[in-house]
Amino acid sequence: MSTQAPASPPSAGGGLPPDGGVPLIYRRGFRRLVQQGIYVAVTALVAWYVYDSLNLREFGFGFLDDPAAFKVGNQWLTDVDGVTSSRIEMYLVGVWSTLRVVFVAILLSTLVGVIVGVSRLSSNWLVARLAMLYVEIFRNTPLLVQVVLVYAIFLVGAPIIQEVLNIGDFAFVSNRGVAIPWPVPDGGWWGAPDWFVGVWVALLIAFGAFAMSVRAKRQDRERETGQPQFANRWAFGIFAVAALVTFVALGLPVSIDRPFVEGTRYLEGMVIRPEFAALTIGLTLYTGAFNAEIVRGSIQALPRGQSEAANAIGLSGYQRLTLVILPQALRQMIPSITNQYLNVNKNSSLAYAVLYDDLFRVAGIIQNKAGHALEMFFVIIVTYMLISLVISIVMNFINSRVTRVGV
Amino acid sequence: MSELPPIPPPEQRPLPPVPGAAGQRRIVLPPHRQRARRPRSVRAREWVRKNLFNSPGGTLLTIVAGAIMAAIVFGLIVFVFFSANWEVITHNRWLLFAGGFPHEEAWRLWVSIAVVFALIGAAYGTWSSFGRRDHLFVLLVGGFVIFLMAHGGAAIWSTIYFLIAIGCMYLGYALTIWMPRETSTLRTVQQRIVGGLLAISLPIVLVILLVGGEVGPRHLDGFVLNLILAPVGIVGGIVIGIPLALGRASRLRTISLTCTAYIEIVRGAPLLGWLFVALFILDDIIGGDLIIRAMVVMAVFTGAYMAEYIRGALQALPRGQYEAAQAVGLNQTQSTRLIIMPQALRISIPPMVGQAISIWKDTTLVTVILPLRELKGNADSAIAQFEFTPDRIEAYVFVAVIFWIVAFAMSRISQRVERAQGIGER
Repeated sequence: MSTQAPASPPSAGGGLPPDGGVPLIYRRGFRRLVQQGIYVAVTALVAWYVYDSLNLREFGFGFLDDPAAFKVGNQWLTDVDGVTSSRIEMYLVGVWSTLRVVFVAILLSTLVGVIVGVSRLSSNWLVARLAMLYVEIFRNTPLLVQVVLVYAIFLVGAPIIQEVLNIGDFAFVSNRGVAIPWPVPDGGWWGAPDWFVGVWVALLIAFGAFAMSVRAKRQDRERETGQPQFANRWAFGIFAVAALVTFVALGLPVSIDRPFVEGTRYLEGMVIRPEFAALTIGLTLYTGAFNAEIVRGSIQALPRGQSEAANAIGLSGYQRLTLVILPQALRQMIPSITNQYLNVNKNSSLAYAVLYDDLFRVAGIIQNKAGHALEMFFVIIVTYMLISLVISIVMNFINSRVTRVGV
Repeated sequence: MSELPPIPPPEQRPLPPVPGAAGQRRIVLPPHRQRARRPRSVRAREWVRKNLFNSPGGTLLTIVAGAIMAAIVFGLIVFVFFSANWEVITHNRWLLFAGGFPHEEAWRLWVSIAVVFALIGAAYGTWSSFGRRDHLFVLLVGGFVIFLMAHGGAAIWSTIYFLIAIGCMYLGYALTIWMPRETSTLRTVQQRIVGGLLAISLPIVLVILLVGGEVGPRHLDGFVLNLILAPVGIVGGIVIGIPLALGRASRLRTISLTCTAYIEIVRGAPLLGWLFVALFILDDIIGGDLIIRAMVVMAVFTGAYMAEYIRGALQALPRGQYEAAQAVGLNQTQSTRLIIMPQALRISIPPMVGQAISIWKDTTLVTVILPLRELKGNADSAIAQFEFTPDRIEAYVFVAVIFWIVAFAMSRISQRVERAQGIGER
């Protein structure tokens, strides 16, 4: 390449020397162009090879509308039989199952994480050791093994349904799962339809918002005047009274449904199946160990002066933790905790190992029946990404609330 | 996926210095303020009061925690020594360890183990040293393994081979620990040799295991499969991750866009999803043995995570490093190779070890949807035998313990490396 570069006008507003005189191959723009050209060519070649080797003649998502012809278990609030419903409906039932597991596991693992993380820093030697033991055990063993172990303990340890463990006619434990009482909509005094409970829930939300506004107002006043205004007690009181009054006024629209055993089946109430329990407990214990380390790390990252200052103004240990330490540590821990939540979402696919019909397993069944692995994988990854996106958005919102500077 | 900065797993973050830890100078009081050391019994009583019964609440906590601890210990003792039927393990030793690996080729396994052990010993001898805890760890783990092999139909030869492997570790240690530690040509040569051998240990082991004879990748089974899959995933992940990280940080739009897309897409789906790809889709693209495809997926998957950690390290490097490299006249390649990458890799060791432990645990996932049987899968096979069906818990507890031992060792070794490298210190 010995071609003399054509003289180009000097660049308008830069400290770079004009291009004139520099051979083409030494020019930055040209080099970038060539580099990217080569890169694009190689990538395109690989992509074409992949495209070519995949058999895409039958690519399409039409098969999802066909009748499913299989059953999914562990349904809640849905009742899809698999005969009349299409595959995509079954898949959505699976998504709903995943969401339940993820939601419960996120809540519980956060709780476990905070408790254990704080315990690890306890001045009580035994408590700190116990917390460390928990973290070291559950962080260093595979989640899969934890899940199947919980499942095995449930199957082997719990009694069979004929010898069901009856806890005061209130809850039942057997290897078919745990049955507990559960609130259900009820006609109440006026025999209203089921949707009537929605009115009560709406009223609850309205009064909840009102109670929160009262709380905020009282907190402001406390800050201005220095007089104690008991904001939390007021808010809780308003909400409790309102909930009770509306509950009675609407004629008791909710009743508690107690479970009972008939033959080899649970009827009524809420049944927590062993698969759901194993997966949720496994995810909770595993993620809880990581969350505990995050909580501990964030607390330790705070300057020592914070807890010393809290001691100096005479706060009790509990006050020090909830008013001074945790609110500040929260800012530090939210990004890491978010990562753990995203992991919970992805790890929920381990449902496959205990035959819990989450989205991944349902997708696997559909693929087994209909083929179309590529399409199914596409559906799976998009679903997981969407759930991750929702988690990220929620956590970013919480993060922006928490990190907002202000009193 | 939203773009979150990669966060090192908390266990890898440097902990704040412990007061009284080694390296801190002890304060010596002037003679008139020195007091006689109080007797041990007084100090012990004081320790107990301060750490267990410092307040009514603290006492209550101690009692509750003590009760929980006692219940756990009691339950464990009852389970391990009385109620559990460990025959499911001892009867299926070979199944759990190597599964379908042919018996007549077992020497390959032992030679590989000896080689790896010797290298570990040499690495310790070169850069660190065995402390009392390390000896204790070796003793405990070795005792555990030998107990397994001696229990219920003793496997005498395997025991001897295992002891020889442990001997190899101490031999490698002994050969290297006596070398002078001061900077010298000899020291450099020693470091180069040991480091080089460590770097190519995975290919060496693969050659010993698979070249010649009747064995092929499909014979990798049981715990051996875990032990092969994890390093392949880790090494492959780093090899893929470095260019990906550089690509994502690149100024060239096409490169950074495609690398970002790769990383985010791979991180968007769970590993099980990618193993699904290995089973059903990769067959058409690269073909080959299922184990090979699983290895490729492990490497590709880990690569995306490693890339994120390395990118985080690249961003954490002070700008001055890039500018200084330019100022001394290094070109792009040279500055990346000589200035940027060594520092970035050093910074990213802690999160990468976290990822390595994670991959180690995730090797169990190949059992879930692939017809491959690693340790957990073979435990499933063990409890599928008629006489062992009630022993599910024992089998899974054993699997958990094995995974725990290796993961724990990995985290401890990484702590050693971090301390030796001074990572997290200024």
